[in-house]
Amino acid sequence: MIVRERLSATTIHVILLGWTALALFPLFVIVLNSWKSRKAIFGEPLGLPTGEAFSAKGYASVLSNSDFPLFFGNSLTVTGVSLALILLFGAMAAHALTEYRFRGNTLIGLYLILGIMVPIRLGTVALLNLIVDLGLANTLTALILVYTAQGLPVAIFIFSEFLRSVSHEIKDSARIDGLSEYRIFLEVVLPLVRPVIATVAVFSMIPIWNDLWFPLILSPGENTRTVTLGVQQFIGQYTVDWGAVLAALSVAILPVLVLYVIFSRQLIRGITAGAVKG
Amino acid sequence: MATLELADVRKAFGTTDVIHDVSLDVADGELVVFVGPSGCGKSTLLRMIAGLETLSGGAIRIGGDPVDHLPPSDRGIAMVFQSYALYPHKDVRGNLGFALKHAGVDRAEIKRRVNAAAEILGLDELMNRRPRELSGGQRQRVAIGRAIVREPRVFLFDEPLSNLDAALRVHMRVEILKLHQRLANTMVYVTHDQVEAMTLADRIVVFRAGRVEQVGTPLELYRAPTNRFVAGFIGSPAMNFLDARAVAGTVRLGEAPLCATTLADGPVTLGLRPEHLMRRGKGEPAGDGEATLEGTVQVFEHLGGEAFVHVELADGRTLVAKLDGEQAFRPGEPVTLGLRRERCHVFDERGERETALH
Repeated sequence: MIVRERLSATTIHVILLGWTALALFPLFVIVLNSWKSRKAIFGEPLGLPTGEAFSAKGYASVLSNSDFPLFFGNSLTVTGVSLALILLFGAMAAHALTEYRFRGNTLIGLYLILGIMVPIRLGTVALLNLIVDLGLANTLTALILVYTAQGLPVAIFIFSEFLRSVSHEIKDSARIDGLSEYRIFLEVVLPLVRPVIATVAVFSMIPIWNDLWFPLILSPGENTRTVTLGVQQFIGQYTVDWGAVLAALSVAILPVLVLYVIFSRQLIRGITAGAVKG
Repeated sequence: MATLELADVRKAFGTTDVIHDVSLDVADGELVVFVGPSGCGKSTLLRMIAGLETLSGGAIRIGGDPVDHLPPSDRGIAMVFQSYALYPHKDVRGNLGFALKHAGVDRAEIKRRVNAAAEILGLDELMNRRPRELSGGQRQRVAIGRAIVREPRVFLFDEPLSNLDAALRVHMRVEILKLHQRLANTMVYVTHDQVEAMTLADRIVVFRAGRVEQVGTPLELYRAPTNRFVAGFIGSPAMNFLDARAVAGTVRLGEAPLCATTLADGPVTLGLRPEHLMRRGKGEPAGDGEATLEGTVQVFEHLGGEAFVHVELADGRTLVAKLDGEQAFRPGEPVTLGLRRERCHVFDERGERETALH
């Protein structure tokens, strides 16, 4: 019995480690090769960047010669603002739907969640027309609006589930203490669902940061490119500055990594027990 | 004067009435307990007093002022919830002072009230702890403390002890009793536990399906329940109900008359409290004003000082008797139970108790 269990545990670990290696391998190759000279990238793709192989030229061209910092900034702005809007409005909508009784509650809820089922890219042409008509083509605002719309349905769905589990007694207690509904939402309810906020934030931001589709279609202009689009500039018609491409990608990974680390710590620390009956 | 008046209060959810024309007057400083089975509307009524639910009809007055249209924070009430409802990201001191700080009370006054509440409830050592670092009983005391600092006219308790283990519940019951003696505030206490109701209340209001079944002091409800429902609800173990017949002015289980009645001939229900049944020796003549029942012991629950003995009567019906725990009982052993005639409760067909004789 025990032998069988240990075997299973080992097998599971082997599988998991294998999967981790598989998932991290491309990342590893990219970061590794971003520190190597062009010759070494093609000569020894899997070799370490030591001695002759080492070259920081890729980073140099990315950070100083190009518009890369601008693209980076654009990505940060778009992702950051979209995330903030998704979290705020998603949580507020979910709170309204779960807390208050009003006519059309169910219908509005269904309508908002319907968005999960419809892939937003199906509406690209219509969206483009809308953006152009609004005069928002080639602006970061267009991207922000689209990403917020994209991220709201799932956010509302998840928030609803967790907000439902917040006991009504703590909200009633706050009402008796005289807090307005907005303050109850911000100061009592939200702190109790911090792990959910972190969760929604983490997997809302990744598709926004990585997206190539909408920046290409809605904001391909020089000043409004995001990082994913911006990497394209290193891929010329005849030559590709691989060192720079890999360096750009390596740098692009960082913010998402940092945000993820921050939020996952919040996720763990945010689990408060004991406020309501344990 | 913190009186509480409910006048023909009605509540409907959609088209269903859940509270039917409840009227009640609570005197200043009285501790009134709302008791009843789950779903009877007692918590809903409490929330209506608090202002967390609207009224569909009727009026509520606190200290003579109508409060129907006032938000909860303006009614002069404070509420203690079943699940404590403490703010998790604040420590005990923060939790106690939160409402006052929000209301703009000045710092010195907040400090004075918080310290006073902490002293009354024995929280002085816990002031810097977060709720998750407190035990259930401590959390409940903080919840009570939060209510005290508001210096309300009426305290509302919504099953505050239901989440505590049995021993702690007994302890906290006494604490609440002492609190009431010390503060002398008007209190409305909701519970489904009739023991809490009996021990805490100045008066008890028994609810069933949104209606008031009876209002009275614990002893009144114990001695003179108006109907079967109240009789069966108050007292533990519950009253024994036996189908009997009224024949020529007496109540009979079999042939022998047990007690007198003024009800017309027909089916009636006989109510006997377990604690009013006594063990009699076999063949021992019944005392004056006493009747006897013969049966055999089915099961008995031994509690040390007392025993709950389930007795099967000759006709197959069972009774529970609360007898002295010093005696021994064997399943299958024949036993004779004596009961004083005036302790019998007689209920008519509709479940109303006959009040004339007893």
